[in-house]
Amino acid sequence: MSQEYPALDFSTVIASTVHDMKNSLAMLMQAHSQWMGRLPNSERQSPEQGVIEFEFAHLNGMLVQLLGLYKLGVNQMPLQPAYHELDDFIEAQLAAHQEVFASRGIVATYEVDPLCPLGFFDRELVASVLANTINNAIRYARQSLLISVSDEAGQLMLTINDDGDGYPVEMIERQADYVQGINHSSGSTGLGLYFAGRIAALHQRNGVQGCTRISNGGPLGGGVFSLYLP
Amino acid sequence: MLSYHQKRFLIVDDFSDFRSSVRSMLRELGVKDVDTADSGEQALRMCSQKAYDFILQDFHLGDGKKNGQQVLEDLMVEKLISHESVFVMVTAETSQAMVLSALEHEPDAYLTKPFNRSGLAQRLERLEQRKNLLKPILQALDRGKPMEVLNACIELCKKDIRYSPLCLRYRADALRDLNQNEALERLYDGIIADRPLPWAFAGLGKLLFKRGQVNQAKGVYEKALKLFPMMPALYDGMADVLVAEGDNKGAQKVLEEAIRLSPLAVRRQAQLGKLAMANEDFETASKAYRQAVSQGAQSRFKDAESNLGLAHALISKGSEKGLDTRTRLEINTTLSQVAKENPSDPGLQIRARLMKATSLLLNDAETAEKLTEQAMMRLDGMEQFMSAEAALLVAKQLQMLGQASAGASMLKNCAEIYGDDPVVMQGIAKLTDDPTILNSGNVASDLNRQGVQIYKTGNLVEARAVFRKALALQPKNISIALNMAQSLLHGTDTSVPSPELEECRACLKQVGMMPDTDARYPRYQKLKIKAFSG
Repeated sequence: MSQEYPALDFSTVIASTVHDMKNSLAMLMQAHSQWMGRLPNSERQSPEQGVIEFEFAHLNGMLVQLLGLYKLGVNQMPLQPAYHELDDFIEAQLAAHQEVFASRGIVATYEVDPLCPLGFFDRELVASVLANTINNAIRYARQSLLISVSDEAGQLMLTINDDGDGYPVEMIERQADYVQGINHSSGSTGLGLYFAGRIAALHQRNGVQGCTRISNGGPLGGGVFSLYLP
Repeated sequence: MLSYHQKRFLIVDDFSDFRSSVRSMLRELGVKDVDTADSGEQALRMCSQKAYDFILQDFHLGDGKKNGQQVLEDLMVEKLISHESVFVMVTAETSQAMVLSALEHEPDAYLTKPFNRSGLAQRLERLEQRKNLLKPILQALDRGKPMEVLNACIELCKKDIRYSPLCLRYRADALRDLNQNEALERLYDGIIADRPLPWAFAGLGKLLFKRGQVNQAKGVYEKALKLFPMMPALYDGMADVLVAEGDNKGAQKVLEEAIRLSPLAVRRQAQLGKLAMANEDFETASKAYRQAVSQGAQSRFKDAESNLGLAHALISKGSEKGLDTRTRLEINTTLSQVAKENPSDPGLQIRARLMKATSLLLNDAETAEKLTEQAMMRLDGMEQFMSAEAALLVAKQLQMLGQASAGASMLKNCAEIYGDDPVVMQGIAKLTDDPTILNSGNVASDLNRQGVQIYKTGNLVEARAVFRKALALQPKNISIALNMAQSLLHGTDTSVPSPELEECRACLKQVGMMPDTDARYPRYQKLKIKAFSG
């Protein structure tokens, strides 16, 4: 006799599991940093420490993104836009990666155009895009990372530059496919582009939608990720 | 360099691991004064003893406990924190907390777990800076002076126009408090035309609704809900509009939507209960009132009306055979709570007893009779006015409990107090055919209308004479008494004794028995302050 179980909606199962994973990771990170605090200085600077910090941030970023994708899927992505001070906002994103920068010897800087001290966007969502992009840039950067904020024809432009080898040419050429979710084959970076594109597009003003762009070059000569918010 | 070292910190979290972790981060940052609390209740107690500069409040403090948002609301309403203090909401997932936040009390910042020491330091430093920048505005807010808030905003924008978006909310709230409706509408329109801010939509909708522009308010809410379908406060506004249009069913649907988004909301649950009762959807009503009662236990929005509503909904849901044991137990518990917690409110004592008697009518007639007797004794000596709604239900229950004459006298009393309101008269007509009750207020109501006409022409002597005649017929009528009082105060020097002042005070004293939930209560208070200021 076979028993009928009600079919579980797999994406909901994933979402609630991811939620638990995120909480679990938060506890893990907290415990780890408390433990680190009790170690002598020499022990704190080990290379393994750098790996742990980086992968913590990477894991957390992926989980946030997964939850975000789920919410986009079930149309539960609430946009909560407000005015934010940009230097504060960028500083906060960099501060979250402070240990990783230190352990990898990366100098992270930012410049905010003094003419646009405030931006209008959903802090939480844009922060998740930036966190993923910074994480990605750290992976490829040699020693420096620069976030710049400026006004581009009335739109706010947030740009993350690194001094690595840059994005693969093929990815730059076909970036529209990634953003539209047509090509996921390149793993987390491709999914990240899709996620970033969707979040950018949620920001609209007078019929103009936000968007993303990747390129190579920029002031540091490596990969350049730009987020445009109208 | 760091400016927050000397400040007083409070960490509120139910996890001791988290409290000690944040505490050690703060210590490493050089902060010396750090206290901790493991619940919202404890945090409120601590804030009433000590003025904290920074509060790091966890959003989820466990089921059945006050959440971070409720703690923030209590702190603001009870004025336990200054506007200069920094309130940071710490959450595992910020978007959820934001949906649950009330638009009128937002935290200064959200901080998402996990965060590290540099992340915490950066937020604290920046928040401190922003509070410094806005200091003159925040101090004016603490003093409760909206005019000074406006001036401080102007000063700040003069210093640096780029920061003007930070002032928008303060300006709007100040204009609202000053009742400068035209200026406020212009400000909201301007904000929305530039950037769609949810609070601006909610504020504009509320303003239009308040001024009776129901249709325009509806348009604003429709537009806002398309942009911000996750914002419960907008659904509340929309429900108000639909109720004003007489569409109770539509209003109920909208509120159910809001509750799906944000179930932790005592007032919204109570409002849903009320609407569902009006729609005779007793299942929904009992569920909503049950939530309002249980959530209300930890909230300052605790309201005996929800307990009575729950009992009423459960009774209405019951079958002709009476109520099952579980339902009777729930009714008993919820009504005992009303009687126990409001010993000096005769209206509630009477209503709780009659409600319980009604629930026992079929199963325990003897106890029902006893309770009815107790209620009737209290009713005899009661001076306070019940709200029209409560009075009508009491009259109906008295009829059901076999007390026809007590029910009739309740209806007569209700017709006297509220007889100028056609909706109340319709309610009375559902319960009686007695022409002496149904027509008891006609002459007085006509006179009242005449008096208003004459008052508008400026003929004070004549207007007073007409109001006086009306009031002699219906001495407890709230509208007539307030009109009488207003016409007497008009042109009367309140600093010297006079027959006019005497008469005015007497009729205000009479209607002072009205429930403070009555829409005319603010008007009464204004007149009272004027009449008794001399």
